[in-house]
Amino acid sequence: MGLLVWLEATSFADWVRSSTIGYPMMIASHAIGMAIMVGLALALDMRLLGRFQSIPYAGLHRFLGIAWIGFGINFLSGAALFAAQATSYVTDVIFLSKIGLVLAGSVTAALLQTAVGRDSSRWAPAAAPANVRLIAIASIVFWVGAIVTGRLTAYL
Amino acid sequence: MDAIADWMQSTWINHLVIGYAWTWPTLESLHFLGLCLLMGALLIMDLRLIGFQRIIPLSAVHSLMPVAVIGFVINLVTGLGFLFGDPNTYFINSAFQIKMVLVLLAGLNFVLYYVKVDPLLARGAPTAATPMLAKAVGAASLIFWFGVLTYGRLLPYLGTGGG
Repeated sequence: MGLLVWLEATSFADWVRSSTIGYPMMIASHAIGMAIMVGLALALDMRLLGRFQSIPYAGLHRFLGIAWIGFGINFLSGAALFAAQATSYVTDVIFLSKIGLVLAGSVTAALLQTAVGRDSSRWAPAAAPANVRLIAIASIVFWVGAIVTGRLTAYL
Repeated sequence: MDAIADWMQSTWINHLVIGYAWTWPTLESLHFLGLCLLMGALLIMDLRLIGFQRIIPLSAVHSLMPVAVIGFVINLVTGLGFLFGDPNTYFINSAFQIKMVLVLLAGLNFVLYYVKVDPLLARGAPTAATPMLAKAVGAASLIFWFGVLTYGRLLPYLGTGGG
């Protein structure tokens, strides 16, 4: 807790919290990163589950690479937003659930990206194998959960 | 504008949106989910129009259009919910006004895509290099929609209170 108190007291955290542009800049970046990461991850999930069958799996692989740019934006903007209110976030169950869901979503995205890059040339165009589809369903659940809990964080 | 705001506040929609503690956060969650569907589909379609990942046939990338439309409709409905819930705050908010202008520009750009670019692409090979107009329309789409997202998110921080 001492570390978080220190973090919250840094001049950077104070800038995020109370300057005119700090908080709006971080919150807008966080929405942009979310759109890129979650939007592309959901599109890949739907493809693996059998939608848009005319799109080759390999064609979406590079887009998952772009998705990680969104992840990077949100890691940085999220760290800044966390620093601004570290001590209250760290005890917030909704916030902690969100972080767990984001990590779980990121793991599924990485697993699916690896599987598409390595194995998709052997998959039927209609839909990916059952174990891959299962991860795709989990990915959708994690990302939707992350969005809902992330939004609710503002209310607690 | 005042008459419209008064009418909006007299509707059952207004009551539904502000009469229950959970309606607003639920609409917000759906609005965020809708924007992810819209932006994810747009990123793939527009970057492909610009020339990224030409191994995806143009007709195939077009199959993502329903996802973008569903995302947009979710956000149109939930967005109208916010507007009916608190019209006086939105109408005078400069970020909201800019956002709506950007939605309009994105809509006109979409019309340009359908009228000019789509017929142009239909004549070329599915994985051929896209014409300059297609690249420009794809880039404009991404600029307008990311602008919509940015100004939407800045709404509570910019131009509140009539500024």
